[in-house]
Amino acid sequence: MFLKVQSATNLGLETMGVDVEVNIASRGLPVFEIVGLPAKSVDESKERVRTAILNSGLEFPQKRIIVNLAPADIPKEGSFYDLPIAVSLLAFVTNCRIPENSLFFGELSLDGTLRHTKGALLLALFAKENNIGNVFVPEDSANEAAIVKGINVFSVKSLSSLLLHLLNKEKMEPLEYKKTDSDIFKAKAEFDMAEVLGQEQAKRAIEIAAAGGHNILMIGSPGSGKTMLARALPGILPPLQDQESLEVTKIYSAAGKIPPGGSIITVCPYRAPHHTISRIGLIGGGSKPKPGEVSLAHRGVLFLDEFAEYPRATMEVLRQPMEDGKLTISRTMASVDYPARFILAASANPCPCGYLQHPKKQCSCSEREIRRYKKRISGPILDRIDLHVDVPVVDAGELSETGQGLQFLESSAKIRQRVIKARNIQQERFKNDNIFTNAEMRNEQIKKYCQLAKTAKQILTAATNSFNLSARAYFKTIKTARTIADLAEAVDIAQEHVAEALQYRFKEN
Amino acid sequence: MNNKILGRIGESIAADYLENKGYKILERNFQNRWGEIDLVCLKENRIIFVEVKTRIGEQFGMPEDAINKNKVQKLINNVAAYMRFKNNNKYRIDAICIVLDEQHKLKRINHYENITI
Repeated sequence: MFLKVQSATNLGLETMGVDVEVNIASRGLPVFEIVGLPAKSVDESKERVRTAILNSGLEFPQKRIIVNLAPADIPKEGSFYDLPIAVSLLAFVTNCRIPENSLFFGELSLDGTLRHTKGALLLALFAKENNIGNVFVPEDSANEAAIVKGINVFSVKSLSSLLLHLLNKEKMEPLEYKKTDSDIFKAKAEFDMAEVLGQEQAKRAIEIAAAGGHNILMIGSPGSGKTMLARALPGILPPLQDQESLEVTKIYSAAGKIPPGGSIITVCPYRAPHHTISRIGLIGGGSKPKPGEVSLAHRGVLFLDEFAEYPRATMEVLRQPMEDGKLTISRTMASVDYPARFILAASANPCPCGYLQHPKKQCSCSEREIRRYKKRISGPILDRIDLHVDVPVVDAGELSETGQGLQFLESSAKIRQRVIKARNIQQERFKNDNIFTNAEMRNEQIKKYCQLAKTAKQILTAATNSFNLSARAYFKTIKTARTIADLAEAVDIAQEHVAEALQYRFKEN
Repeated sequence: MNNKILGRIGESIAADYLENKGYKILERNFQNRWGEIDLVCLKENRIIFVEVKTRIGEQFGMPEDAINKNKVQKLINNVAAYMRFKNNNKYRIDAICIVLDEQHKLKRINHYENITI
């Protein structure tokens, strides 16, 4: 008896249909074999399927069972073939009909219930693209799949409940998508901007970074509040737009980072890896390439604290994703594209001891040490960072005593309002360009959307000559000025916008 | 009762079963340097080699599970040795799995034809 069940496999963010073909022969010794290049996790599926069927109160057929995962030349990995294999055996044992036009996907537990399986969203998207009307996924992953409209998502609790559905005894209803609250879907700013005393310039720079998606580097002495500012950053980031949400959720679904019952991610991701992270950990990799921190920070913030402590090789791998917003990871088994459009927020000390230009403490570093330390962050990386800002030491005691800073301190919520407003302007502007922020503009878009006032053009030309700005730096300055103008709700870029943008530019001293 | 006697009982049950089905038993426990073939029979001018597995109860595993790849390979080698001195080249390897209950009564008997495909 020959049976066929449709499923699909995810490779990176791409999905490919897989037919699970099962032949149950009446002759020959009883065996249970899986062919079609199964990895260990797929091969072990035999034991899970056998035990789950027995524990669902059914008989496991004592026949010669050969399972073929077609196309047979692509290596298969993952635990989600359990459900399609089990369904075909159920169909043999109970004579129920395998529904047509349906995908099955899920890992079995030994007791016959289904476990949360990563990649359910990608599967649902694949089903929709290929006009497959029904998908059967584990209960815990069903809400994630139900994000996709226009297909029927069936939430399968256990093999026995699925069997009742297939036998038409107790029909399941397609799941309605519900938005849920879970930790990774909440903004998790540890500090409010109002808690950071002083640092008006740094706060302004962070606001610009959040509004336009620009990269930012903060340099300052220990304890001046660099880390605190960066940790307050999630609180002023705008919510993700629909398209962005889907992109981010896809990556998290592929990485298996969506918790059971999770829904679409609407909050900008915020990733802060330690500086001992490996190159592969940062950009992704492995024989079946997994997304790295840069991809997990897609449409959000990648905060690299103590930037100068990162090994040179680790830092340099950021170059290409910073420019292109995506990267291709090629390995022998597969080549995978991941998006990686993130805001790089970095912080560093000005010198090894950290007290260079400190108002009270004496810097103990030699000239040579300082020069060497500054060289740790390479020119190409610095060139890609639009906003360079000094975070000087503030006398917090004095500031809070006099109450001077306190009354002007703005809360994160207030700053966020302005950021959202600026983002809305950008959304309106780029609605036909398939980009979201000013930082993503290409040269033709800069020509189209960045009208410089005459005085603004003059000041920019003068600065280009005197600071020796690179071509990239020139265009990056215009993009930053565009964001500053958007924050001021100005249509054209005026002189003061360019002047402010130039002030954040990296200057070699 | 030890396993050797259990095996003998199983083999005689299998032999009766096959004779009822029209097989002619040529040899029982054919032995050579590679091991033993439980039953050698003839039906429709085809030599059939039968491996018999017997178990009392199934709580410690089914007799089917005991016929693994190694066992089958051993059987194939053995059969090849046997066939060298025969003019007939039509043959088949079968398995018969027998489960007895506590009183050594037959609970089930399954005949699997051509287990080497």
